[in-house]
Amino acid sequence: MTDAAGRRAHGEIGPPAVESSFEDLYEHAPCGHLSTASDGTILRVNSTFLEWTGYSVDQLVGSSFADLLTPGGRIFAETRYLPVLRLEGSVKEVALPVRRADGTTLPTLVNSVVVEAADGGPGLIRSAIFDATSRQDYELDLLNARRRAETSEERVRVLQRASAAFLASASEAAFAEALAGSMQEAFAATAAAVYLADESGRLELVAGAHPIGVADDVEPDDGPGAEALRSGRVLVWSRSGIRDGMPTAAQAMKEARFETLTATPLPSAGTASGVVLSAFGRERTFDAEAIALHEAIARQASEALARIRLQSRLERMALYDQLTGLANRQLLKTRLGEVLAAARRESGPTALVVLDLDGFKAVNDRMGHMAGDAVLREIADRLRSTIRPGDVAGRFGGDEFMIICENTTAASAEAVADRLRGAINLPLTGVLDDFSISASIGVAVHDGAGSAPAAADLFAAADAAMFRSKHAGKDVTTVVVL
Amino acid sequence: MASSGEVDVLHRNNVKISGKPDGRPIVFAHGFGCSQEMWRLVAPAFERDHLVVLFDHVGAGGSDLRAYDRSRYDSLHGYADDVLEILDALDLHDTVYVGHSVSAMVGVLAATSRPQRFGALVLVGPSPRYIDEPGYRGGFSQADIDGLLDALDANYLGWSSELAPAIMGNPDVPELGDELTASFCSVDPAIARHFARVTFTSDNREDLRAVVSPTLILQCSDDIIAPRAVGEFVHREIPGSRLVQLAATGHCPNLSSPDEVVAAITDFLR
Repeated sequence: MTDAAGRRAHGEIGPPAVESSFEDLYEHAPCGHLSTASDGTILRVNSTFLEWTGYSVDQLVGSSFADLLTPGGRIFAETRYLPVLRLEGSVKEVALPVRRADGTTLPTLVNSVVVEAADGGPGLIRSAIFDATSRQDYELDLLNARRRAETSEERVRVLQRASAAFLASASEAAFAEALAGSMQEAFAATAAAVYLADESGRLELVAGAHPIGVADDVEPDDGPGAEALRSGRVLVWSRSGIRDGMPTAAQAMKEARFETLTATPLPSAGTASGVVLSAFGRERTFDAEAIALHEAIARQASEALARIRLQSRLERMALYDQLTGLANRQLLKTRLGEVLAAARRESGPTALVVLDLDGFKAVNDRMGHMAGDAVLREIADRLRSTIRPGDVAGRFGGDEFMIICENTTAASAEAVADRLRGAINLPLTGVLDDFSISASIGVAVHDGAGSAPAAADLFAAADAAMFRSKHAGKDVTTVVVL
Repeated sequence: MASSGEVDVLHRNNVKISGKPDGRPIVFAHGFGCSQEMWRLVAPAFERDHLVVLFDHVGAGGSDLRAYDRSRYDSLHGYADDVLEILDALDLHDTVYVGHSVSAMVGVLAATSRPQRFGALVLVGPSPRYIDEPGYRGGFSQADIDGLLDALDANYLGWSSELAPAIMGNPDVPELGDELTASFCSVDPAIARHFARVTFTSDNREDLRAVVSPTLILQCSDDIIAPRAVGEFVHREIPGSRLVQLAATGHCPNLSSPDEVVAAITDFLR
């Protein structure tokens, strides 16, 4: 036992001093005290609160507690603090920003309790108010730091997800869906649409719907997408901003319930070019960071689109003849194998037409290879427009062509062959004036009875038939049935 | 985005139905900051004559927070679509829609997009635009709205404790029963922040003229969020609307003066 405690235990000195006046305790408590009527009118306030805020008691009593708060704080008080207080009877540690007499803000934490009147009439609200300046600064610093970190994390996450979605896209359509989805996710857009430019530069809709209801699937020249593509910048349209200059577009936005549109061009890399439109149901503004995120997504998208287009070009090059656009030897072989396999299953007839131009060597020799190439392209066009839907036309050598006719009898195949000869015989006006050309044609048909032949055998038979036509004086069709 | 057909709307919006099954439907929509609890002192008065429908906006009260889709709820249209989906799910016609605060405008958007479902609109403390514009006084500046977001942030940590089951049983207020626990006026802080931004930056002034449903505007006294001049603007813009000035002060007459609100609505529907 210490000396002092010992003495106290023996009653040698009095107890520690206690508050002699509750009035004094109320007035100078280490927190603000405030009593209001149930409608918020201040009835009583202690000296501590007056000291902290710089008001006089006359300024406060009779005025509304809400009037002491900053405008943002008042909204919070009306929508949150008061409803909870009324429903629950008390609230604890609500942060309310109080405006001091000198105009500065005092961050406070408020505990309030409703005291019912004894007669059941409207009661009082008692509040204890704590100066939260240091705590709040600290917490807001923490919160802001966390929010900054979250924003930058969110940005990275949006870009990573977009990148993964682009990578998983094998076609332009899948890519466009991924891009529209990325924009919606990144900016909480209500809708998004993706337009990609075709070879002629027209913007065609690939994903989503045009946000302002343009009827066809081509972005008009005066649309936001076309304008963004011309300027190369992210374009932000607000309905109120374009109302005077573009009343029709503004009306269309109104009908579609959109207040803001953004158009983000995909930076042109090679042939990759397009634009993504995002639409928002309320007026939105985008700061420099948000615009930069639009651009970053567009850059990633552009790279992905270039890759997808290159892949599809490579696929085309591997399967189609570059000069004429017809199926090449590789694709013909595959298709013929498939057609014969189907014929084997269904016991149907198959015809193979082999076609060799007569006198083409002379064209090449006398007029040059450029002219020869023009003739080959012309002949390819005529083949394409003469064959039936379902027939596959290809070029398998210099001036040698082939048509695979699925489910086709000898009579039908001969008719196709004769139509082809007729088409080839037409004058080459505009391509090679004063020249004409013909074709020797061999047709091999398997009628479906018995097992279908191997592809090589059918081809050998058609090729032999073609040579017979050549020897018979050219511009002739020879049909053999296997 | 899932269409309404794939979503259990009644679960998503924590829809609660009471009252007279074949009575004229009356739907109560709460505003920013709280939940359907806002109507607990008003809604019971209509149970004798009406089919009473209460619900929580997604992000508030007992709603399904997983249904919160930032794209959908980036404008009040998303909330209006929810209201229409609730009316569709319950197949309500000739509905009396009572919307407090921001839900007044949600009701305007829903009723102008599908007027055939609505029989009457009651707008409690409506404001079509909170931010001042040239020629229009909403009462707030953009800086004030940013201040609200700061106030929300300052309460961020406090809110998480409010989300924990509240200790109830205030002996002085026996009608606040045991069912008011975890969902009591609760809101998800992150969603509340987005909802605040959507609410206080929206501009629905042009939508008022398109209202064709009979409309009652309940204007509070000394309401800083929806001042009298704003209520009068709404009254002027909605053709044929009726404006009733309440003695109730503040922004929440449904809590501070429920009897007056009930009387005004009952009188309007008579």
